[in-house]
Amino acid sequence: MKFLAKLGITAALAFGPAAASAQEEPIKFGLLQDFTAVYTFVSGEYNQGQQDYLTLVNEEGGIDGRMFEAIVRDTGNEPQRGIEAYNRAREEGAILFDFLSTPVSRAVVDRAMQDEVVLITPLHGRGDAAAGQTFPYVFPVMATYWSQAAILADYINQNQGGLEGKKIALVHIDSPFGREPTPILEDLAEQEGFEFRAFGYASPGNEQSAVWSEVRRYRPDAVFIWGAGGGQSVSVREAIRNGISAENIYSVVWLAETDAQNVGAEAMTGVKRYEAVATGTDTPIVSRIMDTVIEPGLGAGDRANVGSSYYNIGVATMAVAVEAARLALENGDGPLDGTALKEGFESIENFDAEGLMPPITITPEDHQGGGYGRVAQWNGEEWEPVSDWTTAYQDVVQSEIDAGAAEYSGGN
Amino acid sequence: MFYRLSGIHHTGYESARRLWPVPADRWQVGAVLVLALAAPFLVSNLYLGSYILPWLIWSAAALSLSLLMGLAGQLHFGYAAVMAIGAYTSIHLSQAGVPFALSLLGAGVVSALIGTVFGAAALRVKGLYLVMATLAMQYLVDWVIVNVPAISGGAQATLRTPTVTFLGLPVETLTQRYYLALAWAVLLTLFFMNVKRTSFGRALIAIRDKDFAAAVIGVDPFRYKLMAFLTSSFVGGVTGAILAFCYYRAVTPEQFSFNVSIQLVAMVLVGGLGSAIGGFLGAGFVLLLPIILTNVIADLGSSGWIDISRNLMSHLPLIFYGAMIIGFLLFEPLGLAKIYDNIRKYFLVWPFRHSRS
Repeated sequence: MKFLAKLGITAALAFGPAAASAQEEPIKFGLLQDFTAVYTFVSGEYNQGQQDYLTLVNEEGGIDGRMFEAIVRDTGNEPQRGIEAYNRAREEGAILFDFLSTPVSRAVVDRAMQDEVVLITPLHGRGDAAAGQTFPYVFPVMATYWSQAAILADYINQNQGGLEGKKIALVHIDSPFGREPTPILEDLAEQEGFEFRAFGYASPGNEQSAVWSEVRRYRPDAVFIWGAGGGQSVSVREAIRNGISAENIYSVVWLAETDAQNVGAEAMTGVKRYEAVATGTDTPIVSRIMDTVIEPGLGAGDRANVGSSYYNIGVATMAVAVEAARLALENGDGPLDGTALKEGFESIENFDAEGLMPPITITPEDHQGGGYGRVAQWNGEEWEPVSDWTTAYQDVVQSEIDAGAAEYSGGN
Repeated sequence: MFYRLSGIHHTGYESARRLWPVPADRWQVGAVLVLALAAPFLVSNLYLGSYILPWLIWSAAALSLSLLMGLAGQLHFGYAAVMAIGAYTSIHLSQAGVPFALSLLGAGVVSALIGTVFGAAALRVKGLYLVMATLAMQYLVDWVIVNVPAISGGAQATLRTPTVTFLGLPVETLTQRYYLALAWAVLLTLFFMNVKRTSFGRALIAIRDKDFAAAVIGVDPFRYKLMAFLTSSFVGGVTGAILAFCYYRAVTPEQFSFNVSIQLVAMVLVGGLGSAIGGFLGAGFVLLLPIILTNVIADLGSSGWIDISRNLMSHLPLIFYGAMIIGFLLFEPLGLAKIYDNIRKYFLVWPFRHSRS
């Protein structure tokens, strides 16, 4: 099979357009991510999950016999390289793109909408892209950072004796991404009657001791840490050193098994994070990947990564994309192009990837899929869910999305 | 044979001081210009929009920086910040309804003012210490852009360029944007080459070589250092605006981060300090080579010629790229421009072996 695939690709390269115009052309996804610069802590595992899931679909016969092909390139997190890779992949016929890089996604949003191809921005990119009417071809697919902050706040409200009178500190990387939850938390502070203050540390966050002694003086009841990569384990370590108990630390989605090893698996026990998909290999899809893809040696990378947080997020993104392609092929009679795929996405209803992720429903208005997720706690060995799949304060999130979308329509 | 010199006699200063005294050079420049003008009809949109267009704009940026680093000898490690000021100024001016041509000028003026304020550090410090002062500019400008939503464009920190017309000509399609960028690159190249022939340029070179020796012969370092920062920041600001309007069309702070400053310095050094063709070659090397290497290696990988892990495959281009930088600089420390010059001199006297200089 692998030999045949190689032969096929070689033939495609040799004969170019002749081979490409064949009837059963594969559906191409451009997974143009940053493997060498900033997001390396996640894109390796994430992309491996994406590729393995596409391999699984192909091994199981594809969708109506249509196969999937991933175009994978490194962009080095540089917008100009991302634009080149995007243009090239588009010429090769890709109809869906995932950059997993905020700078590159932002540079491509306008182009993708003009070219009418689908851009998925799971867990990165513009939060207001959830507004489907303003961003018809952009799909965050998973809960935006706004929804994540809302879910974490809601968890405290439900399980930690309410939000009223509490002091909540947001310790974030000083970048647009780090600031993103601020407006939501400010609105919630007013609505629920808690005190909120944001503390920023300079990028990339290897050194945060100054800001944490300020946080200690503030004496917060709960701390939200909002960073990515190496800065996250530094945040957890500094928080514990400054007398904040691990139970009161809440993290954005970017906190994984590796960070726990860096902090010390024992010391981090009790830290909570927002979780977009289930981890581990117990869910049906991941165990099928284990049997069909990993065991025969078709995996895209190190098998130790299979089932890790970021790997499973990658699997979930492709599960949604393939589901959208399936719906598009089922509903439409024309060729499967960007517009058809977009309509496929918008007809996704209650799709939970066989229990891997919360059930999402994407509509032409809501491209976020409801903003679901759950809270998980590190128990010393693994992430253990401590809440059900839920969504919270979507009215507050929606008003923020509307404001952002209106600003975009107005020229920004 | 290739560069016929026989029969070329300079009988006046006018002809001896021409930019390209040898007809063969003029033919080459003309041919390149014709190719550049015809590019939209010769190459596909992929190569026009993702290779040639950014190459031209980054070459203009490298030339702007080379004016400061190559001619005046003042190191600048915060040049992306200068371009950022230009880009943001032009967008805000255009959004406020100022005609595009004027907002380009405004971008240059604001960049020149802020760039000169930081350049004033050059009056007191030199070399590595000046690098620190300009680095401070990079971080201060970054910080201000990120922390002032009125500049960066709200919560998402993205500003889209409005639709504009340049002196009545629309700047919308790829071809139109390409021609605007080409015009700016050509104008800047001519300016750069002509500066070297003026008293201003010679004063800058005197200061580069030894500033107090320049002072002894009557070149005021105070005035000329500031003028070098002023000129370079002005053209850098306009280039930033061209980059925003012709290429990115949506500006975010990350597009002008510290890495970009380092890349610009690398373009100038790899290309050759103070050389016009060096600006183009250096920008091509630093900007396009990683992209080309990535694609070549990915194609080799997907066609089964090399069987390596995904991770190594992404890092191989970087390994080759680094090796090539070291290789070229070992082979010719004066940069790609000097390699071009060596080749040209070889053909100047071909089939004989030695040229005079």
